[in-house]
Order: sequence, then structure tokens, then C-alpha cells
Amino acid sequence: MTPLEYTIDNLPEGLTEGPQWLSDKRRQLRLSFNDKPLPRRGAHLWRYTDPGKFVPNSSATAPVTASPSLAQIESELFGLLEKKHLAAVVVDKCGQTATIRMSDELGKAGVVILPLEKAAQSHTPLVEPHLYQLINSEFGKFEALNGALWQSGVFVYIPDKTTISLPIHLVRDAGTAASQVFPRLLIVAGKNAEATIIDEYTGGPSDISSGAGMSHGAVELFAGADSRVRYLCLQRQAGGMNSYLTCRARIDSGAQMVTIPLALGANLSKQNFGVILNGKGADSRIFGLAFGSQYQQFDNHTLHHHAAGSTTSNIDFKVVLADKATSAYTGLIRIDHSAKGCQAYQENRNLLLNPGTRAETIPELEILNEDVSCTHGATVGPIDPMQVFYLQCRGIDYDTAERLIVAGFLEKTLQIVPGDLRERVSSLIRTRLEAM
Amino acid sequence: MSSHTPLLVLKDVHVEVEGKEVVAGVSLTINAGETHAIMGPNGSGKSSLSNALMGHPSYKITRGDVSLAGRSILAMSADERSRAGLFLAFQYPLAIPGVTVANFMRTALMAHRGKDADMSDFRKLFKAEMAALSIDEKFATRYVNDGFSGGEKKRIEILQLSMLQPKMAILDETDSGLDIDALKTVSQGINRFHNKSNGILLVTHYQRLLDYVKPDFVHVMMSGQFVKSGGAELALKLEDLGYDWVSEENGGKVTVK
Repeated sequence: MTPLEYTIDNLPEGLTEGPQWLSDKRRQLRLSFNDKPLPRRGAHLWRYTDPGKFVPNSSATAPVTASPSLAQIESELFGLLEKKHLAAVVVDKCGQTATIRMSDELGKAGVVILPLEKAAQSHTPLVEPHLYQLINSEFGKFEALNGALWQSGVFVYIPDKTTISLPIHLVRDAGTAASQVFPRLLIVAGKNAEATIIDEYTGGPSDISSGAGMSHGAVELFAGADSRVRYLCLQRQAGGMNSYLTCRARIDSGAQMVTIPLALGANLSKQNFGVILNGKGADSRIFGLAFGSQYQQFDNHTLHHHAAGSTTSNIDFKVVLADKATSAYTGLIRIDHSAKGCQAYQENRNLLLNPGTRAETIPELEILNEDVSCTHGATVGPIDPMQVFYLQCRGIDYDTAERLIVAGFLEKTLQIVPGDLRERVSSLIRTRLEAM
Repeated sequence: MSSHTPLLVLKDVHVEVEGKEVVAGVSLTINAGETHAIMGPNGSGKSSLSNALMGHPSYKITRGDVSLAGRSILAMSADERSRAGLFLAFQYPLAIPGVTVANFMRTALMAHRGKDADMSDFRKLFKAEMAALSIDEKFATRYVNDGFSGGEKKRIEILQLSMLQPKMAILDETDSGLDIDALKTVSQGINRFHNKSNGILLVTHYQRLLDYVKPDFVHVMMSGQFVKSGGAELALKLEDLGYDWVSEENGGKVTVK
């Protein structure tokens, strides 16, 4: 059997736990995965990435050893929780055990944070109507794969009219070996609820010399009417990971959603972030960032689907590439026939620091009615040498000038990142720039 | 440097842009405490000369030598020239989105003082210099020249001048795009900066800046050469008679290449 003919013959033991409806779904998705052909190279969203890179290795297993830095992150996050900088912390060690800690206030407010399989049992009325609603077998082969095999799933529920002002922070660790993980997250925010969720992906082998580690993630998010939800996804996996993530959000009337996808890590990172604006007055903003060096490869897709009228969306997706890194960004704005009076804006800017880098930017518009305002813009290019000269004329050396300009390019995006994390992300980027 | 070493010496400087010679052999000596002005019509080569002196990558000095306080600067990069004490106020200052004026100034000052230098006086110094130039404090957190008006950009150039305290300042068309109030403020800033130990080279098309910043010497540049030099009175004569007068006086000696 070649790797590309990989099939799931049986659901691993442990994944058959939970309520019957969940086991049934998993089995259905297993068959669906086996039936679906691998996406054709060159098909929509597969023009720049080889689908074969995401086919699991049949001999690979779930990782057993947590990455060395996890303990430190864990204690930092627990510290922030104690200092009341975070509302809750979830630590997922290589897809095996999830440690969940949350403040007393959250429990009192009726917030639920549970392993997804447990929640499927204990909170069926909240989980069953949502799980697999946005990401299911119809979505694609790899989405079916996660649907069948997810472990260490997490469920987050914020009741109606509940404001959680501090972030809920999840860390998903992919271990150290070339193994595979299938994280899944379901977030349900009620009407007029408010929350910030930080979803951080770490770990994996440091290079691909002994095979790539693999991560297939799925995130479903439901934001009720008039809710305000911020979802930040920080992908900073190690350089030996092939990372695939699909995120779909459905937001109701008057809801305001901010999505912040930050892709810094992995060998190959393919991410798909979509928001369905499902009710009048819904507003979605995506502030994306991909930062690549060496031979890193990014393939990012965003979707704003205006399914209801008088909805607004805005995308600001920034890419910085150094060394031989490459990026493809495909941004789709879809406005339904019935969705009149919508406004959509999309911008993708790519800064190329070395001649060996390459960036593609593909705007896609599917606009089915005329009563809309929709614009997009894209730039791909090196740093303006005149900007560098200007800074040099003030005594700043070339390398420092370049770093300053890159930091400036990313400033607007970093300003959106919540406080404690902003400093950490800035310093990750600074360290990478200084190493160049 | 002995007290007699001139601040800036240009010896037969030739400048090329994209293979075309735009400055065809100029020589000039500026001593500490002096203010010189280079005047000339558009396209005479005066901005090209300023850019070449600062080390702009597109403006190549192909012949001659330039020394700052007795040291040749030709082999230096622009940042080395700046740290050696040369300053160029830009005719069109660049915007650096996302980088605040305060961060930019701090980084520049640190580059001049050295990595381990004490920067504890920065805030106080920065605030005082901003106040002296009537720059609103909110500009500290605005992004460098991003959406600034012409006048605001020029004030920020002079703020950089007064913060960095170079030995030799070249001011390229600093008066352009300024209304009369801004011109006065900017001129005051230049005069406040000027002292016995530094030098100023004003590059300008018009006389009006020279009403506020008095030059000791005026050089008229045409077709890449200095065609006439004199005192401040020369600028006034140019104001009355225009550049044609110099051109005619030279009787065809100056030809446009």
C-alpha cells in the first residue's frame, strides 16, 4: 500500500467511546474518508500544495512524549491564570490528556470547558446540534479524516449574555516525534456573549529528516446573535511538521467576530479560515499573518461568506517571507443573491525579504447581487529601498532598518493580539528576524 | 580634527545617475560655524549632489573626493556617514508605516550613541525638542511621516536634526511645501541648531528660506557646476534678476547636457 492509498480500516480503540451518536458519526466519517479520492493537485486550493503531504503515514502513531518547551508554556499559562490574566487554560499533551483549569468565576457564570467526548455525553443538547455542522464529510477528505480520528477534542461554551473579559487559552502540543495528531475544537457562544479564545499549536519534530510530523486540526465556532467573539489561532509548530487546519465560524445577526490567524511555524502549513455571516448586521474581521523563513511553505485560505444582507467583512492578511520561504494566499468573498447591502473588503500584502522567496495572492469574488460594496487589494514586493535609505541616513544600520520596517509592517496586526500574548509573539518574530 | 580642519570638503565631485552625469565637477569647502547655500534652477544637479553626499545608492560619485572633518566618506555607507556626523534633511521624507516617531528617534539616537549607551535622558530630550519645534506630543506615537502634511514632515526632519546634532547638515529644499508660519518655525529650528562648531548647507530653489537662515556664502549651480559664488547679496540678486542673469553672464560657458 503506497502512502497515498492510506485508508482507516478501524477506528482506534478509545475513539469508540462516548455516546452512540458520536460513534456513529465517526464511523460515517471514516467511510467517507476512505471513499473520497485525494484532492487532485491543481484543484481549487491545491494549486500550490501537494495533497500527498497530508496523507498520514500508516505506521505513524500518536505522539507519546510532550515537546520540551511545553512544561514551560504550561507553567507560564497557569501563572497567568493565577494572576488573573487568563480566564482558563487548556493543555493538550500530544493529543492524550487535556488539563483544564478555569477560574471560579467562569464556573459560576455557567461557562463549560470540557474534553469534547465528555461534553458529547454530558452536554449533548449543546454539542450534538453543533458538532460536524460546519466541518463534515462534505467539506473534504482531510476534514473527514479529522472528523473520524480527532482526539483531545475540546468544547467551550459561553452562555447567553455572559461576558468573559479575559482570554481562554488552549495549547495543543504535537509531541516530539514524527507522529500524528488530530486536534478538534468546538466553540459555542450564546446570544450577547463575549469571549476571547487563544488556540495555540506547538511541538513536533524539529526537522523532516526522519519524516514529517502531521497535524490535522478542525475548529468549529458558533457565535450567537449580538455576541462578540475573538478567536486567535497561533500556529508555531516545529520545523518538521506538516500542519493542516480548517476553521469555520457561523455568526448570527449583530454578532462581531474577529479572527486572528498567526502562522509562524511548521514546515508546511495549510490553513483555511472561514466565517459565514448568517444574520443581518453581522460583522467579521480577519487579521492574518504568516511569517516564514528557510524553506517554510504556507498555503492560506480565507472565506467570508455573506449569507445574510447588511453584513460587513474585512480581511487584512499580511505575509513576510525570508530565505526560500513561499506563500500562497487565496481569499474568497462570497455574497449570496439574497444578501443585499453588504460591504466586504480584502487586502493581502506580501513582503519579500530575499530574492529566493515567492508569494502568490489570489483574490476570488463570487458576488451574486449588485447591491453590495466589495473591494480588494494585494501587493507583493520587497522592502522599499528608499525606506531603508531614509533610516540609514539617521545612522541606523541596514539590518536594523530592515527589522524596523518589518516590525512596522506587522504592527497593526500585532496591536490586535491580546496583551500577554502580543509580547510573546513580537519576541518570537524579533528573534527570527535577528537570526537572519 | 584640528580647529582649522574644514568640516566638509568637496574636491572636483562628479555624480552619475543611471549612467548620466548630473554633477560635473564641483569643489567646495565649508568650515565650522559657516552656512552655505546652493541655489539653482530645477534640474541643475543640486538635489543630486545632496543625495550623493549622503550615500544614496542611485547617485554614484564617479570622480573626486568628499571629506567630513578630514576623513574621506566615499567608502562609507549612508548609516556610517550619519554616525560620522553628516545629516541630510529630505526634500520628500519617507513614510515608515507602523514605526512610531518616538521609536524611530530612539533607535536613531541609540545608533549614534552606541548600543550600550545610557538612554535615560531620551524622553526628556525628545519632549523638549518637540516642544521647541511646536510639534504636538501626539506625533510621538504617530507612525513616521505616515499621512503627515508637507509642513509636518519638514518639522519632523528638523526634529531629527536637533536630536542627532550632526557636525554637518545638508538641508534639501527644506522650505518647499511650507506656509509662512511653518517656514518661520522650521527656520528657528535650524538657527537654534546652528553654532560655531557645526556647518549648514542649504539647498534651495528660492531665496525665501534665506530671509530667515542667513547664509555666509551662496553658490549658484547650473548644469551640474557651480557657476558663481558670493555672499548673501548674491541670493538677493538672483531673486531680482532670476537665473537667466547668471546664465547670460557666463555667456554660453554653461550648457545643458
